[in-house]
Formats: sequence, structure tokens, C-alpha cells
Amino acid sequence: MAKKIKKTIKLSKLISKTIFYMLIVTLAIAIILPAFFLVSLSFLSTREAYQYPLPLLPSMSTEYSLTHGNRGYLISVYDKFDEEYQTVLDTSELEKITVYMKNQLGTPYTIPEIEEQIAKLESGAEDPVYFSASKNIFLNYISFFQISRDAVPALLRSFQIAGLTILVSLTIGGMAGYAFARYIFPGRDALKFSVLFVRMFPGVAIALPMVIILADMGFYDKPVGLVLVYSVGSIALTIWITASIFMGIPESLEEAAQVFGATKFQTFLRVTFPLALPGLAAAAMYAFLGAWNETVSAIILTQFNPTFPVVVYQALLGAVGNVNLAAAGGLVMAIPSLVFTFFIRKYIQQMWGGVTI
Amino acid sequence: MDRTGNLRSYPSIKKDILMTAAAPAKRLRKFGSKAVPYLLIAPVVIYYIFFWIRPVLITVVKSFQTAAGAFTFQNYVMVLTDPNFMPALRNTAIIVVFSVTLEFLGALFLALLINRKFFGSSFFLFIAMIPMALPAVAVGAMWLTGFTAHGWINSLLYYVGIIAEGAKIYWLAGSEWKLLALIIVIDAWQVIPSVMIILLAGLQNIPEETIEAGYVFGGNYTTVLRKITVPLLGPTIQTAIILRLISAIQIWLVIVLLVGFSRMPVLVERIVYYHEEVPALDISPLMASGYTIIVSVIVSLAALLYLRVSGAFGGKKEAS
Repeated sequence: MAKKIKKTIKLSKLISKTIFYMLIVTLAIAIILPAFFLVSLSFLSTREAYQYPLPLLPSMSTEYSLTHGNRGYLISVYDKFDEEYQTVLDTSELEKITVYMKNQLGTPYTIPEIEEQIAKLESGAEDPVYFSASKNIFLNYISFFQISRDAVPALLRSFQIAGLTILVSLTIGGMAGYAFARYIFPGRDALKFSVLFVRMFPGVAIALPMVIILADMGFYDKPVGLVLVYSVGSIALTIWITASIFMGIPESLEEAAQVFGATKFQTFLRVTFPLALPGLAAAAMYAFLGAWNETVSAIILTQFNPTFPVVVYQALLGAVGNVNLAAAGGLVMAIPSLVFTFFIRKYIQQMWGGVTI
Repeated sequence: MDRTGNLRSYPSIKKDILMTAAAPAKRLRKFGSKAVPYLLIAPVVIYYIFFWIRPVLITVVKSFQTAAGAFTFQNYVMVLTDPNFMPALRNTAIIVVFSVTLEFLGALFLALLINRKFFGSSFFLFIAMIPMALPAVAVGAMWLTGFTAHGWINSLLYYVGIIAEGAKIYWLAGSEWKLLALIIVIDAWQVIPSVMIILLAGLQNIPEETIEAGYVFGGNYTTVLRKITVPLLGPTIQTAIILRLISAIQIWLVIVLLVGFSRMPVLVERIVYYHEEVPALDISPLMASGYTIIVSVIVSLAALLYLRVSGAFGGKKEAS
């Protein structure tokens, strides 16, 4: 009897565990699915990207058939969905064929290679000639940077802006964060309040009037201008993060160092700073994410020197012609964000809820 | 409070020792240590005066001026009578109210379901963070390629057999309500996972004894949830809700990428529209700054609300 009960308990435990994991897996799939399709789309060739239904996974190669056509050579492409060859081109110009193969199907093929296939056809050994060309999987990424000529400089500019924003907000914000954590001084509450307030203030509300201010300073449409704007929010955030980091470092450690004869500055450099380093790195990554992901201020404050998100935004706005390229751009945008988020995931959780895991 | 106690008692010992030594040196040192915090915060104050207060003031002053510089209310009248103003305000309000409510309830439900340690939890937590980590343009790319008629959402529905071969659902066509619902769903996808982890963390910080005590004294699941769990999660919930509220007010990019400008106006979209799309119009700068002020006022009210409930006003902070 007791054995039976034990067995039932074990079974119900197993069932509830299974249901629980099914829930977790369903959730994870729901979260990942849109991202998965973006990744998949960014590797699709243009022809694939305009098929309906879209292929779930990008193909690695394309099957071609070659035969004589009315105007020259008839090129057909094997369609996996319809399971048949579909004629795509009838031309005698070999260059047209290679361009089509590269741009539409992502399979770079040289003219001599085509000639080789044609020779097979002409010799009469095979008609039609079937051949397969392998896909350059990163072609969309390459094309994205080639087609939008702004993309490479914009990417560099975005990194530059993010780097400078980190520098400005860590020095200015870090100092203030230390003051908040270690000193009680008149005006402290008012300042803390305004810092919290600035942190929530909409960036776009600063960007618009900054057009005039930056133009006066000669910084409009320059990376420095955006650094100045991004630093407003990111300094506030840095103060918040660094204050809590410094508060977490016991003061008794600093006092001990001072008892042994260190000056306040030495104490900071030798004791407090090394202990705060991981937290400061997190604050830096936060500043990076803020500057890297920002779009609206960048749209307003740049004209000929856009940041990378602006380039991707513009590519997406006119994406009727090349969704797969725009997807590649969006993904390039996402990668640094994901990497840094991975590193600071614990801090993000603290940040939002004020709790530790 | 402990910290202040320590901070004050330590220099006082030092003071006694120094009392007998040279008085001027002491005074200097005292001034020095008093000035230190101000020196540390001076750069922030200066920075904010120049790059925060000044631009905000410029916008406010300009909003009351005619092109010639005379005082006027005309600019506000113009924004408020803009045929797109009420729709923009309404759409923003709908997005904020529905998405924040939906997201919060959904996240709380999931957090309560998951609330335990399990194998692979840290990996799952990272996955849950991905949507929030993605830049707005990447999210825009994702849904733009999804909701077009030949996009991946219809393809997926076809593969799982929900729609017939060749059939398509035109997600982006139709009424504004449909679009609003789409935007709310997109936002929910992006936000629920993160709010869920936050609540999860909050739940795991509640001591088990507290919950057990609730059951010992005869509470059932719902009473314990209502009387103990949710109140203890209070601060976490407040922070999450208001921060979400503030970012929901500023949703615009995904809307513009999906349906373009002016089809479904929202407040921030209007700013970009007047500044970028029709910059040549006479009224454009005024309209853009008018909408900017409206957004700022609304967000500021939400921020003040947050600072109020979190007790950042005065010395209430320690109590919460």
C-alpha cells in the first residue's frame, strides 16, 4: 500500500515536472522565434526572400539547369517548394547570368565556370546540363555594406560615439556616484532626485533643442554632438549604478587602509577602485548599450553623417527591394547589444527591480 | 543610518587628536573634506546646466514665442488643433494603458508559474532578456519582415497548417484598432520576458517562512498571493511598471517601420515626422517642439509619480 502511494507521488511529480519544462520550452520558443526568423531571413538569397511561403532555413546551394533557349541559354532554378525547375533567364550574355546568380541567388559563379557548363551543353553530352552552385552565406551582409555606402563609416561612427559616451559618463558620473555613496552633504537629496529625474526624461526632448545648441558649437551632424546628448541620460544611469556599487564596498576597508597610512586618494586607487571594477565595467556596458541602440536623437541630430542604427532604419524604411539585406543590417545592429547584455545580465535584473539574484 | 553613524564618529575621534595641534591646518583640512563631495559632483551639475537645463529651457521659451520673438500662445493652439493631435494622444494612451496592463499581468502570471529553481534556469533567464536587449531597429526589422503579407508569420502559419496554401493574412491592412492590437502584441513580446525575470527575482527574495506563515494561519493560495506575495513585491512592481510606462509613451519606431508615417500617429512619431519628413513647412519646427513639450510633460509626470511612490522625495527613501 505504502509502496503504491509512493509510486503515485513519484508519477505525479514526474508529470508536473514534465508540464513545467513544457511551459519553459514553449516560452523560450515564443521568445526566440521572431529572432530566429530574422537570423534565417538575413541568410536567404533575394529569390528565396520573396518566395511565399518563406523557406524556414536558408539553402546552402542552388540547383541549376542549363539548356538552349530562344535568345541564347535558358537557365532554370530548382524550386524546393514546388519541386520543379523554374525558368528564370533566357540570354546569351554570360555576364548577365553570373550577375543574376550572384544577386538573386547568392551563388557567386565566374564566367569561366559558366563557360565550362556551356561547353558540356554544346558538346551534346548532356541536354539540359544540371549543375549546382554553392551559396556564399554572408553575401547579404557584404551587400548591405556595399549597397548602403554610409554603412561602414556609420558603423565606425557608432562605435566611436559609444566609446566616448562611456568615457564621459564614467568619469563625470563615477565621481558623482562616489560622492553619493560616501558623503552626506547639504543638497544631496535634491541632487539625487534630479539625477533620477534626468534618467527618466525623454531623450528626444533634449535632442530637438540641441539642434540649435550644437549648431552654434559647430557640433551638429558630428559624433561629438551625439556624445553630448547621449551622455545626459547615461551619466544619470552611471551615477545610479556606481553609487550602489560604492555603497556595496564596506567603508571599513577604506578606513583600514587609512589607518595604515594611506591618503584618501591612495585608498580609492588601491582599495575601492579595484573592488568596484566589475561594477564599473557593467556601468560602461550600460552606457554602450544606450548609445548604440539609440535611434530617434540620432535621426534628429545627424544629416550626412548618420549613425549605424539610422542607416539600418533608412534601409528598412525603403526595404521593399531588399528585406534580406535590411535583416542583415538589423542583425549586425543586434549582435553587440546581445553580447553586452549577456555580460551584464545580473546587473540588469538588479536595475529594474532593485533586487539581487 | 548605520553608515552615517560611522562616518560621523570617525572624524570626531580625529578631531580630538588634532585639537591640540595647529588650528589653521585643521581648519583647512576641514574645509577640504567638506569641499570634496562638491568637487566630485561639480562636473555633473555643470554638465546638466549646459546640456539638460539649457536645452529644456530653450524649448519652453521658444514655445511661447512667435517667429519675431513676441509672446504668444498661438503655438500651443496650433498643436492642440492639429487634426492629428487627438489621434496621436489617443493612440499613445491606448498603447500605454493596454500594453502596460497586459505586460504586467502576463509577467506576474508567468513568474508565479515558474517561481522555482530549475535545471537550465540561468540560460532561460538570458533568453528572456534577449527581446529587451535588441535595438529598436532590429526589432522593427523582425516584425516588418514578419507582418508583411509574404512575411514569416504567414509562412509559419502555413507550415503549421493554420492557413491554406496561397492564402495570406493582410496583417497591416485594415482598421487602426487592428494595428494598435499588433503594436501591443509586439510590445508584449518584447517586455513580458524581462518583467517576468524581475518579478521572478523579487519572488525569490521573499523569505519562505513568510509565505509558509500565511498558509499556517489558514490562508489559501489566493489570499496568500493577495495579502503577502504581491504586497511584498510592491517596490519591484512599482519600479517595473513606471519604467515601462515611460518607455511605452515613447514607442514610435516599430509603428513607422510597419505602416509608415501618419497612418497611425503617436506623439513621438509626430516629432520625427515634423522634423524629418516635412522639415520645409513653416510650421514644422513649432509643431515638432510643441509635440516635444507634450511628450516631456507627460513623461515627467510619470517620472514624478515614480519618484513619489519610491519615496525619493525627502528622507522617505530609507523607509521603503
